[in-house]
Amino acid sequence: MHSRILAGVTVGAIALVGAALPANAAEESSAKLSVLHGVPDLPVDVYVNNELTLDNFAPSDLAGPLELPAGTYSVAITAADAADASAPAIGPVDLTLAAGGNYTAVAHLNAAGEPTATLFLNDTTATAAGEGRLTVRHTAAAPAVDVLAGGSAVISGLTNPNEQVLNLPAGTVSASVAAAGTTDPVIGPADVTIADGVNTIVYAWGSLEAGNLALAVQTIDGLSSAPHGIPAGSVGLAADSDTGSLVWLGSAALLMLIAAAGVTVSTRRREAAQSK
Amino acid sequence: MRVRFGIGLMALLVLSGCSGTPAVPQGVPSAPAPLTTTPAPGAGLGEQPPASPAPETAIVVPDVPRQNSSIDAQVTREVVPPVNISVADLELDMPVLGMGVDGDGAMDLPQNTGEAGWYRFGPAPGDPAGTTVIAAHVDSAIYGLGAFARLREVTIGVPVTVRTADGAEHRYTVSEVVRTPKSDVPLGDLFDREGAARLVLVTCGGEFDRSTGHYLDNVIVTAVPE
Repeated sequence: MHSRILAGVTVGAIALVGAALPANAAEESSAKLSVLHGVPDLPVDVYVNNELTLDNFAPSDLAGPLELPAGTYSVAITAADAADASAPAIGPVDLTLAAGGNYTAVAHLNAAGEPTATLFLNDTTATAAGEGRLTVRHTAAAPAVDVLAGGSAVISGLTNPNEQVLNLPAGTVSASVAAAGTTDPVIGPADVTIADGVNTIVYAWGSLEAGNLALAVQTIDGLSSAPHGIPAGSVGLAADSDTGSLVWLGSAALLMLIAAAGVTVSTRRREAAQSK
Repeated sequence: MRVRFGIGLMALLVLSGCSGTPAVPQGVPSAPAPLTTTPAPGAGLGEQPPASPAPETAIVVPDVPRQNSSIDAQVTREVVPPVNISVADLELDMPVLGMGVDGDGAMDLPQNTGEAGWYRFGPAPGDPAGTTVIAAHVDSAIYGLGAFARLREVTIGVPVTVRTADGAEHRYTVSEVVRTPKSDVPLGDLFDREGAARLVLVTCGGEFDRSTGHYLDNVIVTAVPE
């Protein structure tokens, strides 16, 4: 049991190394950690470095984010009525948190239905103006799945405990989860909000066999970018001057002529009025 | 008449010398930073609660924020969009439409110079923090000169009223009027989401480059809540 969990965490850690960290990562010495409970029907206690950190943590609960100094933490998850961390149901596992990283540790079932834990690194790189990010994580006791939006697969063949990340225009996506290669939903359809500058992380968790598959949502905001500019004119009617041509010189000359004519006309009118 | 025209002509001849280079895209992620790990022996969660660090001797379960992650428990942000802006001193009174981003990643604006656009991905007038950005085309070949052209004439202290869809009137006072070459516009600051609540009105101005069809400057009016 232990060795299998550790192996799973190692795979996760290898996947993390290649992922992008936020631009300011080097300046920070702390990391952010959230914890998601994705094991059905099992209230737990979460111990970090043997300290009880989450007491009576219920399925579907999301805790955090905690701001922690970068480093390696030992996490053990016990049944909620355990007296201490000596007989964990999951772990203990070592979670290595790099400076500037934003992580979610998920207690969940593996594809075979056994409790395990996976550490995911959340993508907190900036999103383009008008876009949000959708991260889908397979943490359910279920085979490979497709994620369907508007009836067609936007993610194909996602397996436990992996993720896929999409950058999408802000809006609402009606998403459902189906067994890979099929379109008959096992979860959903459910409306998922894609907000500008927000990484919306959707977890499929639970067990297909037990019929308790569900979706959990975590959001990480503050990733927005400003638009590239505000192009608010197109003709030049309000311009101080033109560049790129000498048209304005001609216009100015014309305006001078009109003005001169106006002065002449008004002078004549005044003279005419005075003569009356 | 002749004197006033002379001043106008002088203004026409003033070249502000700004460049037409496109604004630098904001928020482009830099290269991934190296993963560095600083071992922190003994730095347990119980000793490092996020808000107020407790002494190392404290043995308490930290008050970690928890929420139900169920997709059915998610609450979407309620936004009350602005629908009208008026500046009585400028005889400016126009509808406001929610606008997003165009194909080039710039803020999209109504083509009609009689309508202003609100950046709908950013803060709204009722929000406690951040900048509500409302911009309008200064001119158009179809619709002619827009009322936002008169923003250049606004002075500090002038009241601005924005009405939101719920009928509420949000009153502001102009605190700053600047004209900045587009390449120098601090877009990240202008579209700020976390600082003090304020209203920023933007249009184009300055020189007009006929070869690109763009003005070289943005006229930026900042107003603070009354």
